[in-house]
Amino acid sequence: MASLSTKVKLYCEANSKVADFNPGGNVSLQDDSDGNGPYIKEWNVTGLAQPTDADLTTYDAAATTEETNNTVKNTRKTAYGDIGDQLDEIFKDIDAWKTRIQGIKDANPKS
Amino acid sequence: MSEIKVDSIGPRVDSGTLTIGASGDTITIPSGATFTQSGTMNASAITAGTMATARLGSGTASSSTFLRGDQTYAAAGEINQPIWFGRKGDAADQVLTRATKTKITSMTSDEIDTNGAYSSSRFTVPSGHAGKYFIHGSLVADFTGVGSNGEETYSYIYKNGVETLISGFTFDPGGKFHTIAQNVSGIIDLAVGDYVELYGKLTDDDGGQNAQVSGGKGTNFGGFKISS
Repeated sequence: MASLSTKVKLYCEANSKVADFNPGGNVSLQDDSDGNGPYIKEWNVTGLAQPTDADLTTYDAAATTEETNNTVKNTRKTAYGDIGDQLDEIFKDIDAWKTRIQGIKDANPKS
Repeated sequence: MSEIKVDSIGPRVDSGTLTIGASGDTITIPSGATFTQSGTMNASAITAGTMATARLGSGTASSSTFLRGDQTYAAAGEINQPIWFGRKGDAADQVLTRATKTKITSMTSDEIDTNGAYSSSRFTVPSGHAGKYFIHGSLVADFTGVGSNGEETYSYIYKNGVETLISGFTFDPGGKFHTIAQNVSGIIDLAVGDYVELYGKLTDDDGGQNAQVSGGKGTNFGGFKISS
């Protein structure tokens, strides 16, 4: 199941708002380690009501897809390697570089 | 034993010296009699015995008071208890839901608890110990298992369930790190029954996984009373 933060983020974006989880931000999530899991502790998104559990459930699939794709994106980035090394690779043999990058994309498809 | 009764004795000549007794003699003021003195008696003449502390100043002289320069007794310094401390065991890793302030638990190793007021994650002020407390917490934020792409780490001290102290940092998106120890500390006024806890928040850059607070010496919670 997708994390609460991703679902809240998507809920805000769907309503043309931005969720800010930083200190002083407009949303605060909390987990008291009492077995009840994370919940919305503070909600100060101007012009947008705090979502209900039902509201957030509708974003579960989309949030899971986003998290999966983000993980793929991060995996690809690591596999691409240092940008300086890639520039050197391109300079020496741009076709070989393109083949290698395509191989990484194929091995790590997005949802 | 002979006795003389006169109203005054003095030296034979004016401004002379009157000597009472000789070396080895004992001069006694009997029980019930009062020795008074209006002229000067040199303190340096007291060369033996112990001066009763009650004679040195006003107030109560005891093992928990000290004599101030104005000759009054005052309470001695604080004992600085209660004291509590606990850290996570080496294998007590705790996964935190991404971007969520989460209570840190299971800090029971190397425990110190002078007043029986600490229980693995929470210190509660016991009766008679309200005051100002120095409180600290530390957590090791470990993102190595989720792509080593940490973006944000915060630690908090909560008082009665409310965020009270905070310390941490946020990288710009794209910045990343894999492990860091994040400390938070400060002084909080606590009443009897108030409780404090350590919380943490970890956020990875790609938004896909939940990082962990590592077990071991780096994740701990403690404090002590400074003053009333």
